[in-house]
Amino acid sequence: MSDVAMVGAEKLESIWKPRSAWAGYARAGRHGRTGGEAGITLTLRDEVGLATLIVADGKEAALDRALEASHGWSLPEAGRAALAGEEGLIWSGPGQWLAIAGTRRRLDGLADAVTGLASVTDQSDGRALVRVSGPCAREMLSKGVAIDLHPRAFRAGSAAVTSIAHIGAQLWQRDDAPTYDLAVARSFAGSFWSWLSHAAAEFGYGVEHGPGR
Amino acid sequence: MRIRCPHCGERDNGEFSYLGDAAPVRPDGPNASAEAMHDYVYLRDNPAGLHRELWYHAAGCRSWLVVTRDTRSHEIHEVAPARDVALSRRRGEVA
Ligand SMILES: [Zn+2]
Repeated sequence: MSDVAMVGAEKLESIWKPRSAWAGYARAGRHGRTGGEAGITLTLRDEVGLATLIVADGKEAALDRALEASHGWSLPEAGRAALAGEEGLIWSGPGQWLAIAGTRRRLDGLADAVTGLASVTDQSDGRALVRVSGPCAREMLSKGVAIDLHPRAFRAGSAAVTSIAHIGAQLWQRDDAPTYDLAVARSFAGSFWSWLSHAAAEFGYGVEHGPGR
Repeated sequence: MRIRCPHCGERDNGEFSYLGDAAPVRPDGPNASAEAMHDYVYLRDNPAGLHRELWYHAAGCRSWLVVTRDTRSHEIHEVAPARDVALSRRRGEVA
C-alpha cells in the first residue's frame, strides 16, 4: 500500500496545494537596476479563473444575450477586451474569447449558461498570467512585441494575440497608466519569465504576488 | 514584409506561415481523373505579378487568410479570411 493511501483525508488536504505557474522562476522582491523607484512592477496572478469560449456557427447574438443574462458580460469586438474590474471577456480570434474572473469559482455555471451556443474550456491552470505596470511598462513591452503599443494604436480595452520571444502571448491593456495583463501557456512560464526578467532588469523591477487563491 | 490581418490588423510576417497558391480546388476523389489529381497535387502556376495565396496567422488569431500579393514587389493588394472565400466559392460566386 502506498504512503498516500495510508494517510487520512485531513493529511491529503495539505498535500494537494495549488502550485503557482511561476513557482521556481519568479521571486518576490526588488530586482534588476538598483536605486530609485522601480520602473516595472510584475504582479503574479494565480488566483484568476480563465476559460475559452468558441461560438457555435451563427450564434453570436444569442451568446451575447446569454452572457449578459448570466454574468452581465458583453462580447467585445475584434482586438478589444470588455472588462469590469477583474472580470469579463477578451477577444482571442474570430468567434473566440477568453473569459476571465477574479476567482475560478466565479466561472461556475458558465458552460451551462451557454449550452448550445458556445463551447467552454477551463484554462485556469492552463495559462500563466502576469500583470505588468509601472512607469516603464509600455517601454519594456515594446521591446518584445511586434505590435504598436503607442496610445494612438493600443489603449485601455485593447487586446491582442501575438508572440513575445517566439512564445505565443495574449495581452490586453487595462488602463491608461498603462497597466497590461499578459497570458502565456503555462508550460512556457519559465521561458517567458526568462525574457520578462531580462527585459525588465534595465528599469529595475519589483515582483509581487496577487491575491491568493 | 507586413500583412494586414483582417482580424488583428497589421502584423509582422514572422507571425504567419505560408502554404502557397490559393487557387487549386481538390477534385472529387473517386471520380477525378489521374490527370486532374496530378494537376491538383503537383502543378502550380508561377506568375510574375498578382498571386492569390494562403497564409496562416499562426501567432495571432489562428485564421487562414487569402493574400493577394504581387510576386515582383511583395506589395499586398488584398487580404481576406479564407473562410469567407471558401463560403462564397461554395455559393457559386467567383472567388
Ligand atoms: Zn489574425
